[in-house]
Amino acid sequence: MAHILLRDLDVPDIWQFDTYVANGGYAALRKSVKELSPDEVTKIVIDANLRGRGGAGFPTGRKWSFIPKTAQVKYVTVNADESEPGTFKDRQLLEGNPHQLIEGAMIAAYAIQATAVYIYCRGEFWDLAHALEDRIEEARKANLVGENVLGSGWSCDMFVHLGAGAYICGEESALLNSLQGLLGQPRVRPPFPAQMGGGLYYWPTVVNNVETLANVPWIIDHGAEAYKAIGTPESPGPKIFCLSGHVAKPGNYELPLGKTFRELIYDYAGGIPNGKKLKAILPSGASGPVLPATDEVLNAPMTYESVAALGSTLGSASFILMDEDTDMVWAAAKMIHFFKHESCGKCTPCREGTYWLDQIYHRLLRGQGTARDLEQLERVPKQMVGVTLCALGDFAANPVLSTVHHFRHEYERYIKQPALEKAGAVAEPV
Amino acid sequence: MAETVTISIDGQSYQVPKGANLVDAAKLHGTDIPVFCYHPKMKPVGMCRMCLVELGSVTVNRESGKPDLDEHGQPVIRWQPKLQTACTQTVSEGMAIRTSTAKVVEARDDILEFILTSHPLDCPICDKGGECPLQNLTMAYGPGESQFLYDDKQHLAKHVPLGELIYLDRERCIQCARCTRFCDEVVGDDVLAFHERGRKLQIVTVSDPPFDTKFSGNTTDICPVGALTTADFRFGARPWELSEVPSICPHCPVGCNISASTRLDRDSGGKKVIKRIMPRQNEQVNEIWICDKGRFGHHHSLSSNRLQTPMLKKDGAWVEIDWKTAYQEVTSRLQKYGEKVGFLAGPSLSNEDLWEMRKLARRTCRDCQIGLWPATMTGLEAVTQAGVGVGTHLAALGPESAILVIASDFEEEAPIWWLQVKQAADRGAKVMVANARPTKLDQYAKCVVRYEYGEAVEVLNHIAVFARRHDKLNQTLVEGRVDGFAELEADLKGKRVPKQHSEAAELLLDTENLVIFAGNEGLTLAQQAELMQAAANLLILTGHVARPNNGLVAVWPGANMQGALDLGFSAEATVSLLDNPPSMWVIGDADPVAEDARAAAVLDQAEFVVVSTQFMTPTAEQADLVLPVLSFAEREGTFTNAMRRVQRFYMAQTPLEGALSAWKVFAQIGSALPGGDKPRISAALVMRDIAQHVVRYAGMNYTDLAHVETQFPDVGGHDLYYGGNAYANHGGLGIQWATNAEKENYRLTVRPVSAEAPKYEDLTLIPIRLLYNRDVLFEPSTVMHARIPAPYADFNAKDAAQLGIIDGDQVVISAGDLQINVSARVNGQAPTGFVLLPIRLSQLPVPAAPAMCSVQKVEE
Ligand SMILES: Cc1cc2nc3c(=O)[nH]c(=O)nc-3n(C[C@H](O)[C@H](O)[C@H](O)COP(=O)(O)O)c2cc1C
Ligand code: SF4
Ligand code: SF4
Ligand code: SF4
Ligand code: FES
Repeated sequence: MAHILLRDLDVPDIWQFDTYVANGGYAALRKSVKELSPDEVTKIVIDANLRGRGGAGFPTGRKWSFIPKTAQVKYVTVNADESEPGTFKDRQLLEGNPHQLIEGAMIAAYAIQATAVYIYCRGEFWDLAHALEDRIEEARKANLVGENVLGSGWSCDMFVHLGAGAYICGEESALLNSLQGLLGQPRVRPPFPAQMGGGLYYWPTVVNNVETLANVPWIIDHGAEAYKAIGTPESPGPKIFCLSGHVAKPGNYELPLGKTFRELIYDYAGGIPNGKKLKAILPSGASGPVLPATDEVLNAPMTYESVAALGSTLGSASFILMDEDTDMVWAAAKMIHFFKHESCGKCTPCREGTYWLDQIYHRLLRGQGTARDLEQLERVPKQMVGVTLCALGDFAANPVLSTVHHFRHEYERYIKQPALEKAGAVAEPV
Repeated sequence: MAETVTISIDGQSYQVPKGANLVDAAKLHGTDIPVFCYHPKMKPVGMCRMCLVELGSVTVNRESGKPDLDEHGQPVIRWQPKLQTACTQTVSEGMAIRTSTAKVVEARDDILEFILTSHPLDCPICDKGGECPLQNLTMAYGPGESQFLYDDKQHLAKHVPLGELIYLDRERCIQCARCTRFCDEVVGDDVLAFHERGRKLQIVTVSDPPFDTKFSGNTTDICPVGALTTADFRFGARPWELSEVPSICPHCPVGCNISASTRLDRDSGGKKVIKRIMPRQNEQVNEIWICDKGRFGHHHSLSSNRLQTPMLKKDGAWVEIDWKTAYQEVTSRLQKYGEKVGFLAGPSLSNEDLWEMRKLARRTCRDCQIGLWPATMTGLEAVTQAGVGVGTHLAALGPESAILVIASDFEEEAPIWWLQVKQAADRGAKVMVANARPTKLDQYAKCVVRYEYGEAVEVLNHIAVFARRHDKLNQTLVEGRVDGFAELEADLKGKRVPKQHSEAAELLLDTENLVIFAGNEGLTLAQQAELMQAAANLLILTGHVARPNNGLVAVWPGANMQGALDLGFSAEATVSLLDNPPSMWVIGDADPVAEDARAAAVLDQAEFVVVSTQFMTPTAEQADLVLPVLSFAEREGTFTNAMRRVQRFYMAQTPLEGALSAWKVFAQIGSALPGGDKPRISAALVMRDIAQHVVRYAGMNYTDLAHVETQFPDVGGHDLYYGGNAYANHGGLGIQWATNAEKENYRLTVRPVSAEAPKYEDLTLIPIRLLYNRDVLFEPSTVMHARIPAPYADFNAKDAAQLGIIDGDQVVISAGDLQINVSARVNGQAPTGFVLLPIRLSQLPVPAAPAMCSVQKVEE
């Protein structure tokens, strides 16, 4: 099947403006602006039931419809912060098929009658961001971006902004603060970004993930029904799955939502190297609960609803696979260290909780863990869940609670055999 | 309470003010929701998560619009599954919270445990210990013990200077951002920020010079832990040793309510002394803020240079004498010179001092002049008619109000008003600044009017003309109660209003409320008098009088200028004294010699000069007899702030041996004169005399002045926003005297004012006022010396180029007979043709009014 999102796999030069246009590019924007009203565009996206690919799976069309029409200034902000460990799909989209994102973002902007689009790229996307500016310039020259788009009287320019390498700036309200030049910390909500007072410079703002918006041109081209024919009713459309870790063929795979884990891992990605057994899957980078690789899990369809039923989240669908030799305590320690490093520090439970947990893991890996430490690993994360200002605090609790739950015996080994130190496994405390 | 909504707290229904914050509303009814980051004076940020509660709302039936009821007839409440932060909620009809369920209790316990994982065990040596919200809340809500291992604690720097006034202890900081938000939101000075993230998040100063704001001390009060301490107080005393004495700041016309934290101090020979100054809550004056001058500028009262014995000059040398001899020396002189005695009162005498001085003057001779120092401002009549309405509340002004600040560098002259007007602007109040040069308030103004020095009056006249032309007059008032309208109208008629002024007028007159703050920058005394009248004219004609949040405020150059005016002292009298010098002068706590060359010369010619003073000032030096008096901290009294609020201060310190209250001194002298009565035995009784004789103070007494009511939001008390006693107001909220406009049977008078402005053709020197200077009462606070600039003058770039001087050059400014050595600044402040010269940066006088000058560069 031809790709809808990763079209660079089918047409290698599609990043070039002419190639993109020759392959039907910008027809959807043209159609939206010339033939459809903003509300009609939103309606199509609502009907298609496109769900946000940034992690939360919020219905995209509904998000657009929250924007108050009366606001004088409105923005679309593209979340290209892609910082979740194991997530690298937005990068391929931006590098391989950038015009599709530009087109999707402009359609979103048209739907809410935005005055400008900002693309917030993670700091490490330096080269990519500069190339993207060139692509935008091409679209600007073709009157697809900027003043009086396609002669419609509606003007909307597009800008690229580079972050400074903080995971938290992928969280939408921290992203907006960062864009405004403020400290990258989440805001109190409500007001939500779509509301007056909650968005960029406090104007109503739609924040969408790169992949989410890359779906939009196809939906406009082919209609909501065609889109819903892909995937499942609650999780329609194609999805990019990022595979990394112990897997034969790591990389991005575009599949309709609803395929099983087994299909993806074994049929498409060649299974686990060296004939090893799969032990666990991190379905949404570091931030979702770990799933043990049971048959129940492997046979489950990959949709928002069924992964939730398994007690985890599909999130951004970045699967980190771990074979039977993986030390789950070590893996959890890595993730906690990451969250400790990335906690913005604004709210108490996450700032202090991640630090505390990190200390405990250090002790465990140094072979100095006690039974009391294991008790704390079950207790401290529970003190964080549900009471933090943003979801990072919840994310940080997930790897701990889930690994202790599913792989308790591995923790017990650390306590009983203090000599099991892994040299260099975890960076020294900072 | 205007509009209210009904909310349910732990099953009980309460009426609370609509739009109030949930934490404040709950507190009003005795439910303390613990908080760390929330502070009622700042926007909520939901950071610390301490205030978690169960939040729900009454479910309403779609069809009937009435609440659903359960089987007991109680409204059904839908509870949210997750705990919510109370501080980020605004109360709304039908809101319900549970603050003491197991879930809530456990969550608080958890949060406190988290906070304490990073907190050092410093309580025994921490300045905040004893008044620390963290300590209090840990006792009230904390876990019995922590599971966190002590060895896991992070150790951080403990003495990080954030400037020379404030120190940060990084270990103690709980990252609540109250300090940064205070600087950003309340003050608008970009001086503090968070650096790094996560557990490394730390407060840093981002300004140069560091922590560059006039309000830095307030951060140490609102810091919920002992992370911020002042260089002045840290390790000075333990809060529980301190007893709080209500007082009033003696430094500026705002009249901030302060609390003197005192203790019996070994280092001071067991005397009761002030260890620090804290703000005391008075919502209608300073809320809970004070500026750094008020906080750190109290050291004069403990200075070792204070005078302790009366001294008589004999053959050019001082001889110590006893009080009795001193009184005799004065009385015999008063009798000798009779008609030829002049009286001069300084800016920080209490009303009681002033009253006794006035009595003494009256007893000395019928027409003795009682002058005011500095003699730079006047306008009691304008204030009496059109002063701001009783109950004016700057902290409540918003879009419905306009505020005009004219001829004043507001932040320098009245810091806390500046802060309040700035915040009013943030809330949408229409602030207009009119001055001849840029000032800090400009950036918050909706409209900035620039005029040339001398033209301030014209601006107000133009606004009045606009009001007349555009139907903005209050006809009922004008027709019913105003005299002189015809003459004024005739005078204003036909005046051409420049566009800039009509735009300003449109902005100002389009709102319900209008407050005018009038200063004297660049004005002679005569012009300033006209400015006050022009402001009164405008306010009366447009009906912006007789109501709270409307009317005129003069930015007087002293803490009790208003009181002095109220009791009959005046700048005009001073001028007349200087024009026709008496043979003998009685000077109370003023230092004209240091401030005015002409006064120095006049006093030099006098036959006998008596000065009551705390210090051997240049004026005292030049006198014949000095009488040592007590500072504001060592006695009782009242000051009247420039919003006409009479406020009590109490005895905080053991009085300096040998010195007496000025009122007592004057009363003693007076009692020895023929017909003199026995001196009153207390300041309270002097106030009783004042109330009997001065209409404005009729009915006032010390008991009523001490009256307090609960204030909203209640920030003081045994309260968790701040854990100590200093904020709590036990000293009184004070009483404002009512203006004539507020008394219905009084008629109001308007009159044409002269807007004639001198054409300044030569280089003209404009004296300006700075907050930090070498005033007698401030100079002894050495902790502030780094903030007092060396004498300087601001030059316009064009003028500087013509004079061949650049920023930093030493120059001599000659004005009249004065030669003033200063360093030159060229930084865009001074308009072309004008040199701005701050007064009181040295002990050498500078002109008190605009003066022609010439400038010479000092060659190295
Ligand atoms: C800690 C944290 C990090 C996040 N990082 C990203 C990210 O890197 N990229 C992204 O698209 N969304 C990220 N999100 C989700 C965004 O907050 C937001 O939900 C998303 O951008 C919405 O776009 P969508 O509706 O198109 O998914 C993050 C959320 C949290 C709480
Ligand atoms: S949960 Fe963590 S990342 Fe989110 S606001 Fe709180 S401290 Fe910052
Ligand atoms: S220094 Fe004090 S006020 Fe500032 S963030 Fe730290 S605890 Fe809060
Ligand atoms: S604003 Fe004025 S009254 Fe208030 S503390 Fe400062 S100097 Fe004192
Ligand atoms: S989160 Fe409400 S007080 Fe800190």
